[in-house]
Amino acid sequence: MLSKDIEKAKSIIMNYDGPPIKIMEVCGTHTHEIFKLGIRNILPNNINLISGPGCPVCVTPTEFIDEAIYLALEKNITICTFGDLIRVPGTSSSLGDARSKGANIQMVYSPLDSVEYAINHPEQQVVFLSVGFETTTPASCIAVRNAKNIELKNFSILGANKTMYQAYLALKDAADAYIYPGHVCTMTGMSELYKLRDEENVSGAVTGFSASEILSSLAYIISETQKNKPFVANLYPRVVTEEGLIKAKTLVENTMESCDSIWRGLGIIEKSGMKLKKEYIDYDARAKYDIPKIVGKPNKGCKCGEVLRGDIKPFECPLFSKGCTPEHPIGACMVSNEGACSAYYKYGENLWKKN
Amino acid sequence: MEEKLVTLAHGAGGKQTAELIDSIFKSNFKSKNLTADDAAILNPPIGKMAFTTDGFIVSPFKFPGGNIGKLSICGTVNDLSCMGAKPMYLTVAFVIEEGFPLKDLEEIAQAMAKTADEAGVEIVAGDTKVAGKGQVDGVFITTTGVGQIMEGVDLSGAKAKDGDAIITTGDIGRHGCAILLSRDSYGLTADVKSDCAPLWNTIKSVLDTTKDIHVIRDATRGGVGTVLYEIAEQSQVGIHLDYAAIPVDDAVKGVCGMLGLDPLYLACEGTMVIFAPNDKAQAIVKTLNKGKYSKKAAIIGHVTNDMIAHVVVKTEIGTETLLPAPSGELLPRIC
Ligand code: SF4
Repeated sequence: MLSKDIEKAKSIIMNYDGPPIKIMEVCGTHTHEIFKLGIRNILPNNINLISGPGCPVCVTPTEFIDEAIYLALEKNITICTFGDLIRVPGTSSSLGDARSKGANIQMVYSPLDSVEYAINHPEQQVVFLSVGFETTTPASCIAVRNAKNIELKNFSILGANKTMYQAYLALKDAADAYIYPGHVCTMTGMSELYKLRDEENVSGAVTGFSASEILSSLAYIISETQKNKPFVANLYPRVVTEEGLIKAKTLVENTMESCDSIWRGLGIIEKSGMKLKKEYIDYDARAKYDIPKIVGKPNKGCKCGEVLRGDIKPFECPLFSKGCTPEHPIGACMVSNEGACSAYYKYGENLWKKN
Repeated sequence: MEEKLVTLAHGAGGKQTAELIDSIFKSNFKSKNLTADDAAILNPPIGKMAFTTDGFIVSPFKFPGGNIGKLSICGTVNDLSCMGAKPMYLTVAFVIEEGFPLKDLEEIAQAMAKTADEAGVEIVAGDTKVAGKGQVDGVFITTTGVGQIMEGVDLSGAKAKDGDAIITTGDIGRHGCAILLSRDSYGLTADVKSDCAPLWNTIKSVLDTTKDIHVIRDATRGGVGTVLYEIAEQSQVGIHLDYAAIPVDDAVKGVCGMLGLDPLYLACEGTMVIFAPNDKAQAIVKTLNKGKYSKKAAIIGHVTNDMIAHVVVKTEIGTETLLPAPSGELLPRIC
């Protein structure tokens, strides 16, 4: 038996027969859950659900991987990283390839693990690959502060932390409404989203990750869109508050400052990144090791950029499942579980369409 | 008292080897066919026979619900059972790491004897080698088995047909989950015991109910999901599962939820998947529900002629989605 909420939401979605609506799910976890729940298979033709740039591994640019490989191979530095990044292709190879050439690449679950690793291996220089959005940035800040407190000399971070607000702005014409990422909004609170609605006419709903939360938010967006007035709603109020997590925000503000940042597929977005403040510069790997400027060249055939902007569906990329698979990824979107290409591949979206 | 350990001398073939074999293996494996000669002399099975072998390197060697000894017997007994063969004879070969405690070896041998006894199979030959410290991890066991195929039974992974019902003989994913927890690298605790069990009697009860069965497969490495993909491919059919009907222990569900794993991809060592014509399915489940190791047996899905070579699941919200194909990132050394 399905709950009433789910039945109601399903019927609103399945019976929608108004003008076409384009909805972007920003967050990679949503992309994955939507597939897992088979929601795409009940969407009517006039609802187009596109996947956005909210998978940290996917938007990390090629040159970032190149920088990490440079540190690992040229400077003999131990790289600590989240597992997914190991398989992301750089210009000519991945960190996994570097490992087979003798580089020391350690997989960690949190930036704090890499501080721990540095403490236990004083003979090595350790760099943590600090990627991610508002959700993971505070942990990197804590790692750096802890390292500074104990004057740890063999630890630093290679930063590629990003903030979502500027990405929403860059993508504001990509869709009619957005399913906002519940986890990021837990940190940031609602004010940015009100601003987007009031100043930029961007609409959306903050959504959790359960079946009923995702379905209800889709139903809500469909109903609201028909009113032709920008809207924003917090449909995840048990977790997301108006003001967000103030402590975490203050921590980040006191440790990092905004900078321009390169997004795979979106290019440089002004003030969309975070880097360590001057007082923590000793923990910034770019300053510490004088990394030369690297211009990354993603594989020419890879359409990750278009996928991340919602311009094409993954299976419209000529390499999708022909040459590019989760086992042998050519682009970043095929690597992470949260990447759009990997989700479309695993859940056989192209297969359903043909049937 | 000082702990007694296996030494290289135990493997040298001399007096100490004989002592080890007598004190640990012979005293436990009490078969009249197990002699000091170089090979066992046996009566061959009547009719068709099944023949199989399997190596076991599970780490840790002891886990809730069993140990590598019990596992090594169940594995081969179950492989034979899947083909409708009554297990008759087994051989066992050990590679033991120097320094392995004798009392652990004794515990392993006891578990093997007990499990073989339960499955009605005789251990008729064996071999023991000792490898230097670090050359193996603890103990590795290989078992080889011969069984007699029941008359009128014809099973194969290529025989699944449109309209077949799919049954699991029990709740799924418990072995994989128990091993994962006993490695404690995740810092999780939960009360999960491996389902490791010899299933010949279970399978016999099913074949006594009806011989009209198309596929029986052991859902070991890779779990039920992997096995279903194999069968879908081998038989060129589509498989549709009803997620809500799949029996999963609550503790396993909890662990999977926390680690983002799907119980469909966790190994079982005492659960099989059965494909049979739909009109036989209820009777099979009814028989299974009376069995010692198959109380939770249930129909979990059916076979169709669409979505060939794929496994589709009905989700909690009543939609259909593809079960992502096995990714190859399985837990190492679970069996
Ligand atoms: S399918 Fe592969 S190559 Fe194509 S866009 Fe996706 S990741 Fe890039």
